[in-house]
Amino acid sequence: MHPDPAALNDYVDSLDAAERPRELIVVERHLDSCADCRAAANALREIRAVAKALDPRDPPARSWSRLERAITLEHGARVKADGDRAADLPRSGSRHQLWIGLAAAAALVIASAAALRYAGLTSRPSSDVRPAATNGANANTAAAAQAVEAELKQAEEHYEKAIQGLETIANSEKGALDPQTAATMQKNLAVIDQAIGESRAALKAQPASAPAQQSLLESFKAKLALLEDTVALINEMRKGNDAGAARIVSGLKGKG
Amino acid sequence: MTAPRQRAPIPFPSKPQGPTSAAPAASDAELVSRSLNGDVDAFETVYRQHSGRIYTLACRMAGSPEDGEDLLQEVFLQAFRKLQTFKGDASLGTWLYRLALNHCLDYVRSRQARMKKLTDTLDAETSFEPAARRTTPIAKLDLDRAIERLPDGCREAFVLHDVEGFDHKEVGALLGIAEGTSKSQVFKARLKLRAILGER
Repeated sequence: MHPDPAALNDYVDSLDAAERPRELIVVERHLDSCADCRAAANALREIRAVAKALDPRDPPARSWSRLERAITLEHGARVKADGDRAADLPRSGSRHQLWIGLAAAAALVIASAAALRYAGLTSRPSSDVRPAATNGANANTAAAAQAVEAELKQAEEHYEKAIQGLETIANSEKGALDPQTAATMQKNLAVIDQAIGESRAALKAQPASAPAQQSLLESFKAKLALLEDTVALINEMRKGNDAGAARIVSGLKGKG
Repeated sequence: MTAPRQRAPIPFPSKPQGPTSAAPAASDAELVSRSLNGDVDAFETVYRQHSGRIYTLACRMAGSPEDGEDLLQEVFLQAFRKLQTFKGDASLGTWLYRLALNHCLDYVRSRQARMKKLTDTLDAETSFEPAARRTTPIAKLDLDRAIERLPDGCREAFVLHDVEGFDHKEVGALLGIAEGTSKSQVFKARLKLRAILGER
């Protein structure tokens, strides 16, 4: 008789233990004679072993730039609140000026991302934003649909505001980019803008369409990420960090 | 999943922790002190040393790199705001890890509460039947991607237990579930992963 699957799992977990409980010794004996159970146990054991050895992931290059802008703004606000006019961040002058200019958009992006994720509208499967349709609950369904639409509208406004801020910065500093990179960025932006346009058209036709809602938000998010990469690139070039700039450029080329 | 969800003190897993890059030239205390004085370069050093581990944890707990990136931002922004509470009792890496884990758990709870998507629906899947037998070893990258496809609930238990190295008692305390529930969630996750990886 095959062991209970949970017992097999316990057996796999007990492999590191110095002493195996008696009931698991029975499982071990069974594995000696049952190829199917042995294969199942080996599969679980392999998953466990590989999971233990998974490699760390590298955060996207833009992450630090985005964070730096937000904390620069926050520190600036704190200093201002303290009334210390002389206080400033120990950074090089021209770079600092740009950071202060960019910070508001970055803070808005982080705040928006957090707010929207908790509201449940970003990066979730389409089923998550679809109002539940149950028999005899049409009123509830309509209310839920309205709530989702209101949240979507709010999300759209957040994204548009953040995008607008970053676009202004990226356009005014575009001269810092080499023509080929600037062209790649424009091409990628055009592709994303087209996707935004198509999602909007789909939503106009079917305002409750969960895939269209999701597609619109994902397009906004892609545009934000691209603009953040662009601003991060401009800053890396200003810093004279060729390696950092190259890393971001290779990311830009992979999009669109 | 009936135990009350209480915030338990966060233990630290036995797995080796450490900076993701070379050993820092400056001590934790020095980096913190400089960061508190508004030295962004010092805070960048902190970020470079620890962001990889925190991003990895966030991606796996949230189940998507996009959400992982957002969580990374929020964790470091929160760390910047709370730096003055770092007393040096533990290493800065430990302090940041706890902050990140708390933040990820809050996110997971908030999402679960919102979606009411508990893993009870997985009860029918505790069988070894469906998975095809693999003939090649599991690649780390394949497993990492498969983890993202796990349902909420069993994914977090799996990540905390099998990846991060917490034991079931600790996982139970962190997720606000019984130790036995942690065991069964990890088991369900392994079965699901076996099925997903068998599709390849």
